[in-house]
Parts: sequence; structure tokens; C-alpha cells
Amino acid sequence: MTATASPATRPEPKDLAIALDKVWVTFKTTRERKKPSLARTLQGMRDPAKRSVWVEALRGVTLDIQRGSVYGVIGHNGAGKTTLFRAIAGILPPSHGRITVWGRVTPLLSLGVGFNRDLTGRENILLGGLTFGLSADEVQAHFHEVEAFAGLGQAIDFPMRTYSSGMFSRLAFSVAAHLQPEILLVDEALAAGDAAFKVKSMDKIVELCSRDCTVLIVSHGLEVVKSLADRCVWLEQGRVRMEAPADQVVTEFLTRQRVDRSNVVALEDV
Amino acid sequence: MVMTQPAGRHAGHTARNPGGPASRDRAGAAPRRPTVYEPTASGLPALRAYLRDLWERRPLIWHLARTDLKAQNYETTLGQAWVVLDPLLMAAVYYLFRSVVSTESTASARNEILSHLIWGVFVFYYTSNCVLGGARSLTSGRALILNSSFPRAALPLYEIVKSAMNFLPTLAVYLVLHAVLGRPFGFGLVALPVMVAIQTALNVGLALLFAPLMVFFRDVRGLLPYITRVWLYTSPALYSVAELPPRYASWLRWNPLYPFFAAYEQVFAGRLPSIGYVVAACMWALLFLVVGALVFLTKERDFAIRI
Repeated sequence: MTATASPATRPEPKDLAIALDKVWVTFKTTRERKKPSLARTLQGMRDPAKRSVWVEALRGVTLDIQRGSVYGVIGHNGAGKTTLFRAIAGILPPSHGRITVWGRVTPLLSLGVGFNRDLTGRENILLGGLTFGLSADEVQAHFHEVEAFAGLGQAIDFPMRTYSSGMFSRLAFSVAAHLQPEILLVDEALAAGDAAFKVKSMDKIVELCSRDCTVLIVSHGLEVVKSLADRCVWLEQGRVRMEAPADQVVTEFLTRQRVDRSNVVALEDV
Repeated sequence: MVMTQPAGRHAGHTARNPGGPASRDRAGAAPRRPTVYEPTASGLPALRAYLRDLWERRPLIWHLARTDLKAQNYETTLGQAWVVLDPLLMAAVYYLFRSVVSTESTASARNEILSHLIWGVFVFYYTSNCVLGGARSLTSGRALILNSSFPRAALPLYEIVKSAMNFLPTLAVYLVLHAVLGRPFGFGLVALPVMVAIQTALNVGLALLFAPLMVFFRDVRGLLPYITRVWLYTSPALYSVAELPPRYASWLRWNPLYPFFAAYEQVFAGRLPSIGYVVAACMWALLFLVVGALVFLTKERDFAIRI
């Protein structure tokens, strides 16, 4: 990961949390589902076309995301939403363009990041905090908030392999949201909890924003995006299709869906 | 990885209208240094920043190692005793084998062979555990790599910490057995920590080298047990340097572990290790550190894609 501090070229950097400048994320991937092996590499040397395909996950995305805002990201499966988050978090390097991030990024991508299923919830809170780049003392200072918010009761001392997926996501969200995030990336994390927890976590997101934290949410739940997000981007095949206040984007997205629906029979759920 | 297509269309980029909570006053906010992600010309990241990043992640490295150690023998009756018991039983098996092949006449000769076998297995296991653990570290840390950002070298390094935490107790147990078997305690034992330190440096290099190999060639997983087995038999671990077969001795001395075992042998005989062995050990450690780090760092950016 190349993380070099350099002066920002964009105007008004103090108001920005994230700036993407014509960002391309392209990578080679094997066509087959099989893992790379020696034999397959040797085959690939003879026939390069067989070896791999180029995936253009993001194609020249330019975005400015304001500090202290909730920013929604919508789009179909494979539109590049998760890749966008991984690029912002510094997990996938851009192959072109530049990503500038002001502040520490806390990615809540797939549920429970670095959790070890054989350890108790309590031990995993520390592990989760450390993977987000905090010190052990910082985690300890907020330990009770995390525990209280997750509301797991006695289960906090059970190994996490005994947890349901809902309990898993509750703990994951609590860890991410309470350990002083500066830029929080939430990828469908609200989907797994029950209704009461969903409301609780939405309130928490609003509260985080009032404390200068920037929250990015990926969701297929368009109502969630509409009610939480200030602005929203609609990604389509790795490109920005529309970037505007959230309610406008969601309305346009739904309108296009209806148009498409008349043409295509099999459509994923919105 | 050069893409020259024009940037895609994007709408609404110029309209900057932060509504709602975004329009609060931020006069008191401290200025902060931004992090910039860009494609780099060479594959290497800025080394100084990388090392500082890695240094800041030592609580994570330590915690990952600690939790793994805690979990590794959690469900066995004897628990953590297996850390020592496992290599000890292995040494016992090799001793049984040697006793069948050739019987030594005197008790002191038998004790010498037995003590050599015990430390030989312990020392060899330290390196082979680092290689195996390092090779697996990236593929088994898949979830961490895909979902969070940290210097990836933290993963093989935590395997080193884990292996070292497994090795050091066995070393203490060996020193007790060393006394029980009536082996000499000499001034040379002060060089023991030095040799352990050089071996650890070699192990770090090996782990850094094998970790990316495993990502790009999954066959390594299947081959490694055989490679380490051959390595054990070609190192003077189960036999002494003097017993090195003369026909192959000139070749076997090129084994990176050879100077280590030769030096350990002198140390456990109570003598200071020959300077030649120590220098050779340092050279091997340095070579693998540099090659391992170069391979790891140039490939690091591809891990998230290939894993």
C-alpha cells in the first residue's frame, strides 16, 4: 500500500474527507474459479489469452465527499461499490488516478473484519479495534460503550462461533462505530441486524456525523440511503452514472428501474 | 497496468452543495495530513513510511500471535504442554531410530547423541515453523487482507512471534535436560541468545519469501512438508557436524542452516562458536532478509487481488 503524504491539489481540502480523481481500479484475474498454481501458470505462458482477464472495476471515478456528511453509494451488483470502498480504505491500489483521504478510515466491509471465531466477543473487540489501527488503550477506553451498544449480554464471553449472524454484525458495527472512526465505510452491515438494532445503528450514524465523522454507506435498501444520506452516487459498470442529493439520485434510480423492468423480465430486487 | 481510456462521464461533480449536517462550522477542526493512494512507478512502497507503519502495528501483531497461541492447544487435555511435548516426542522417535541403527557403547556417548537430537529438533522446528506459518499467513489471513488496510508484513511477522513463543519454552526445557544428561555448561552458552537472534532474522526473511510464493503458487502448500523434511535430513540436526557424510560434505555446507547447527553444536558443548560460522550465519540471514523483503514488498499490492 502506498501511503505517502503530499499536498492536496484540490481546492477546499479542509472541507473534504475523500477526493477521488479519475480513479481506475483494474486488475487481472483468472478466468477460472481455481486458485493459481504452478501448472496453470506454465499453461498460461503458452497461451496468454487463456490465463487471465482484465477486470475494470472502477473506470475513471471522480468524487468529492464532504466531511461530516453521510454519503450513499447505490448501484447494481458488480457496479463497483465494494471496490470503491476497498480503494478508499487503501486495500486495493488504484491503477490510475489519485485517491486522497483526510483522516483514518474504518472499513466495515464484510461483517466482522478480523474476528477470530474461536475467541470470545470480548477478546474480539480488542482484535477488531487493533485491526482498525487503534492502540490497546484506546480500545479499552471505549470498551464498555461497545459492549453496551452491541447488547449481547452474557454472550460477550462466549466464543464467536456460537453467535448468530445478527449477533455477529451487531458486534462488528459496535466496534467500528464506537472506536472513534473518522471516516466510516459501512457495506451492507445494517442488513443483518434485527429491526430494533437497525434503528439504533441509524441513530448512531447520525450522531457520528454530528461529531465530524464522515460515513459512507453502501446499501440496496434505498429507503435507508434516502433517509440517512445527504448526497449519493449511483455507480453503473464502474462509472459514475449520477451524483446528486440523495433523494434525487434514489428517485432517478427507481425511475430507471421501472423503465428497465419493462424490458427485462429477470431483475434483481431493489 | 496502463489504461488509457478516457475517464467515464460523471454528473454533478461541480455542484457542491453540502446540505444538512455537512454545513456545520468546522473552524476548530485541526488540520490533518491527507493520505494519498496513487499508482507507483516502481513496485516498492516508501520504505521508511512502511516501516513506521509496521512499527505502529505491533500491538496487532502481538495480539494476533497471543490469541492464536491461546487457541492452538485449547481443546487438548495437556494444553500448552504440547508446545514442548511435540518436539520432545519427535526427538524421542529419532533417538529410537538411531538406537536401532547403531548402538553406542558408553552412557556419555548416548547422552551426547540424545541431547544433540533434542536441541537439533527444537532448533530445526523453530525455522520450519516460521517457514510453514509464514507461507500460510497470507492465505489464512484472507479476511483481514480483503477487509482492512495495514502493512501486510504484519501477517508473516505475527507467525514469527508465534513460532518464537513456541520455541523459547522448548529452549528452557532443553537446558534442564542438558543438565540432567550431564552435558557441559561452559562460557560459550552466553553466545546462545546471539545465535537465536541471528536465526530469528533468517526466519523473518524466509517467512517473507514464502508468504507471497504461497499466494501465487498454491502448490507450495503441498510441497512444503517434503521440502522441510529433506532440509531436516540434510542439516546436521539429527547428527553432528563430524558425522556429515564425507562424500556430500562439501555440498551440504552450502545449506543455509549448516552454519547455524555447527555454531549451536559448539555452544551446547560449552564453547564459543567459531567466528566463521557466525559470519556465515549472518550472511545467510541478511541474504534472505533482503530477498524476502524485496519479493514481499513488490508483490504486496497484488495480495488483495490474487488471494
